[in-house]
Amino acid sequence: MVSKGEIERDVVVIGGGPAGLAAAISAKEAGAKKVLLVERDKRLGGILNQCIHDGFGLHWFKEALSGPEYAHRFIEKADQVGVEVMLSSMVMAMEPDLRIQLSSKEGLLSVKAKAIVLAMGCRERTQGAIMLPGTRPAGIYTAGAAQNLINLQNIMVGKKAVIMGSGDIGLIMARRLTLEGCEVVGVYEILPYPSGLPRNIQQCLVDYAIPLHLSNTVIELHGQNRLRGVTVAQVDEMRQPIKGTERFVECDTLLLSVGLIPENELSRSAGVVLDPVSGGPVVDDTYQTSMEGIFSCGNVLHVHDLVDHVSEEAERAGRFAARLATGEQRPAREFIPIRPANGVRYCLPQRVSGGGDFILSLRVISPVRDKRIVVRDQTGKRLVSKTYFRLHPAVMIRIPVKAEKLAKVKVLEVEVTE
Amino acid sequence: MTGNGQYDVVIVGAGVVGCAIARELSKYQLRILVVEKELDVGMGTSSRNSGVIHSGIHYAPGSLRARLNVQGNAMFERLCRALKVKMNYIGKLTVAQDDEEIETLYRLKEQGEANGVPGMEILPPHKMQAIQPGVQGKLALYTPSTGIVCPYTFTIRLAESAHINGVEFLLAAKVTGITVNKGLFHITTHKGHKISGRVLINSAGLYSDAICRMLGIDEYKIYPCRGEYLILDKRFGHYLNALVYPAPHHGKAGLGIHLTKTVDENILIGPSNEYVEEADDYRTTREIMGLLIEEGRRLLPGLATSDVIRSFSGLRAKQTPPQVGGFKDFVIERRRDYPNFINLVGIESPGLTSSPAIAVMVRDLVAEVLFLNEKPGFKEELPGLLGYFHEQPQELKRELISQDKDYGEVICRCEGITKKEVMDAFQNPLGVRTLAGLKYRARVMMGRCQGGFCLPRIVELLRREFGIKPQELLLHSEGSYLFTGNVR
Amino acid sequence: MRKRLICVICPNGCELEVEYEIPDGKISVKGISGELCKKGPKWAERELVSPVRTVCSSVFVEGGELPLVSIRTQTPIPLERIRDLMEEIKALKVKAPVKMGQVLLENPKGMNTKIIATREVRAVP
Repeated sequence: MVSKGEIERDVVVIGGGPAGLAAAISAKEAGAKKVLLVERDKRLGGILNQCIHDGFGLHWFKEALSGPEYAHRFIEKADQVGVEVMLSSMVMAMEPDLRIQLSSKEGLLSVKAKAIVLAMGCRERTQGAIMLPGTRPAGIYTAGAAQNLINLQNIMVGKKAVIMGSGDIGLIMARRLTLEGCEVVGVYEILPYPSGLPRNIQQCLVDYAIPLHLSNTVIELHGQNRLRGVTVAQVDEMRQPIKGTERFVECDTLLLSVGLIPENELSRSAGVVLDPVSGGPVVDDTYQTSMEGIFSCGNVLHVHDLVDHVSEEAERAGRFAARLATGEQRPAREFIPIRPANGVRYCLPQRVSGGGDFILSLRVISPVRDKRIVVRDQTGKRLVSKTYFRLHPAVMIRIPVKAEKLAKVKVLEVEVTE
Repeated sequence: MTGNGQYDVVIVGAGVVGCAIARELSKYQLRILVVEKELDVGMGTSSRNSGVIHSGIHYAPGSLRARLNVQGNAMFERLCRALKVKMNYIGKLTVAQDDEEIETLYRLKEQGEANGVPGMEILPPHKMQAIQPGVQGKLALYTPSTGIVCPYTFTIRLAESAHINGVEFLLAAKVTGITVNKGLFHITTHKGHKISGRVLINSAGLYSDAICRMLGIDEYKIYPCRGEYLILDKRFGHYLNALVYPAPHHGKAGLGIHLTKTVDENILIGPSNEYVEEADDYRTTREIMGLLIEEGRRLLPGLATSDVIRSFSGLRAKQTPPQVGGFKDFVIERRRDYPNFINLVGIESPGLTSSPAIAVMVRDLVAEVLFLNEKPGFKEELPGLLGYFHEQPQELKRELISQDKDYGEVICRCEGITKKEVMDAFQNPLGVRTLAGLKYRARVMMGRCQGGFCLPRIVELLRREFGIKPQELLLHSEGSYLFTGNVR
Repeated sequence: MRKRLICVICPNGCELEVEYEIPDGKISVKGISGELCKKGPKWAERELVSPVRTVCSSVFVEGGELPLVSIRTQTPIPLERIRDLMEEIKALKVKAPVKMGQVLLENPKGMNTKIIATREVRAVP
């Protein structure tokens, strides 16, 4: 029932970044009439607006585009197909009956949806969350926040930087800072291998002779007012600092690239069940969450490394959201749970209906070579078996699975084997 | 011009005690100046504590601490209502696990009775559980008058109330010397101010001994004792209905590591106890934070490290050195050697709780040397909302947005803070222009993303609305510049 | 001699092993392994002899809704000339409005490429 002062939409997409854009376009193309895209920023594009480096769209467009270029194509398409957009509008609450509460300069608005697609993206792990010891000076930024300030606001954050974490954002920022005249003293990665894509190691560190220190981490901050340096140390297999390896590194800026966390506050408060490992909602092969009518895609579902995959995933989620919104009934089926097993950190969707083909996304726990990814059922029979020359946690693996293989399947397990 | 000139009363230190005194004295026709070395009020111990309004059971009957605690506690509700500060008499269970601790509970209750603490009860397990499900223990002492408040909001509002009633605030000015001449105190600051006052009040907290020494008073020394805390995500707030403390162990300093809840639903784990050398050593340490998170995991099921939002520390202004330990009573005295010098030393816990009562006591001391004429038109209340915009009832929110659209634009996603609130906070009456000042007033950047989302938006807002150049922006103190210039 | 390179053409990031000699000052590639596609070896040879990169950066905008417009080189330029290019980019100023794909500078410092805008920047009234 629609209350007074409330508007109705078929599909509401929360977040106008790459996931939201692709989902909204796909929902329209799949037949949903009133598709509303809600974005808190004053422009669409989400995180892509600040990702001015290239490498986006190699799969989707077969071109190497920068973030804004990639976003632009979807923004144009969204406009063409008639997606309704509300900018500078923040979703304050989402209710299980598919109502969302928006806040904007125009006031408070309640929107009743037939289907919702969650595409809120993620936030960065903070200095507080990693409990970095020492003082509290100015000069410490998460890499994404620094990227925003530099690329969108023309603000330089410092003159001499240490980067904590070798995730892609940290690597990209290492290059950016160097080109803009901020000396990057080094990148310190706590794991024994880099967290970001190998080609970013090449293009961002090797090209500029920026040292990468593996099995090293920042253990203390110094400086009362502005950062004046950090203490770094080597770590052991338990990631604990090794006594005697501590050294002081002078710097005035520390960039943290220590992980992304899917931003599921709205999901959580509405009662959506989350997977503690992926950080996002538990979904089925239509990307529907544990709550009927609420779908999820993109970084809010699980952190991606390639925007092309985000678009693929979102395109699917949007399509199924539209089908639900337009009243298409899904045949009731028993869900087949899919569980990560040996060597697999998580896999998604966590359950499938068996009624359609789907794409299995997964990440491995540690870097390995010459291994197989195997999907087997409860009898041990292998439904899928693919060899990989190289498997790395930083690179999401995506494997298409055909529905016909799921005929007698009750449970699926995914593992890394020889 | 603020700073240079003659005042009736000069208060050194704008912590919660100094600001409470300032407000109390602003009820009278006095020219009052508060001198503070930091760029904002409450930057020392006052903003770095558990925010607990204690009941008063822990202090020896007849002591200043006991008396002022209980008096202050009773004054809190009315004061907070006037200042538009959120507070809550949430109640506290002090839980005993064995017979020795049970004895302690009964002793505490007796002590509380002697101190005039209202409403105490000894509760058996089923009654404990009714208040706080899951709490384990043999018996608990329940003190319904224990409350929580946001200590920095309280301090800031006290200062703003004093200010609205005529008190002048000189911030970013460190007192460097005090001389006495012709019955006046002559105070110099590191920026060259020349201030004179008839009455001097020392509420300099961690530096109160330094102020004493400027007058040749050598008998006090402050030993800073650091307590580290972890702040947890708001989603754990519902775990605590009341505060739960373990019964104090005989001889152990401090109240032990425990969980407290804030008025904003965050959980605090801490504080620890460690003497440090410098009165500005607010560093957090690996060892203590490790201890705190372990304690948190033990008490809160499902706690992940990404649920830790931030760590911070506070320093207690202890009067006893580490080898002695323990507690000394408040020093609140009008000196014999300097009859117009009112000296406050060692105001550690329950300083926050006692602050309203300390202010009244200090007023009485001032009245011994100055004639206090009541000021007609004293503004008891502060304007504004109680709580943040997003906490207001729906109808009021709609009305506010229709009056000012900037209430509709949300800047801080995690805490739901609006553009209007950010703008008001930046244009605060005391003229504080730091990012920390903005944080403490508007709560921005205090959520789980710690400014990851809102910092760039705030910087853009400050630039667009107030013409603030990014290079000018300071985080919390002189030299804490955030940015070094433009990219292009 | 051997060198290990990570191919940057696509996200696979194949690790290529290149065997080469340098008779009389010029690099001569003898063999390449580790590639998953045909483009890899061609790229590796290029990378060893005269590596090129696409440069992405920002240019100052006057009178726009944003202070900077993101840009990139339309075609890759030699790695060793990136600093030169950055000088040109830093010195450049453009006036809003800027259109997506707009050419902001041609042949910077004689390099055979164009600096193009990778986003639009509308003028503020």
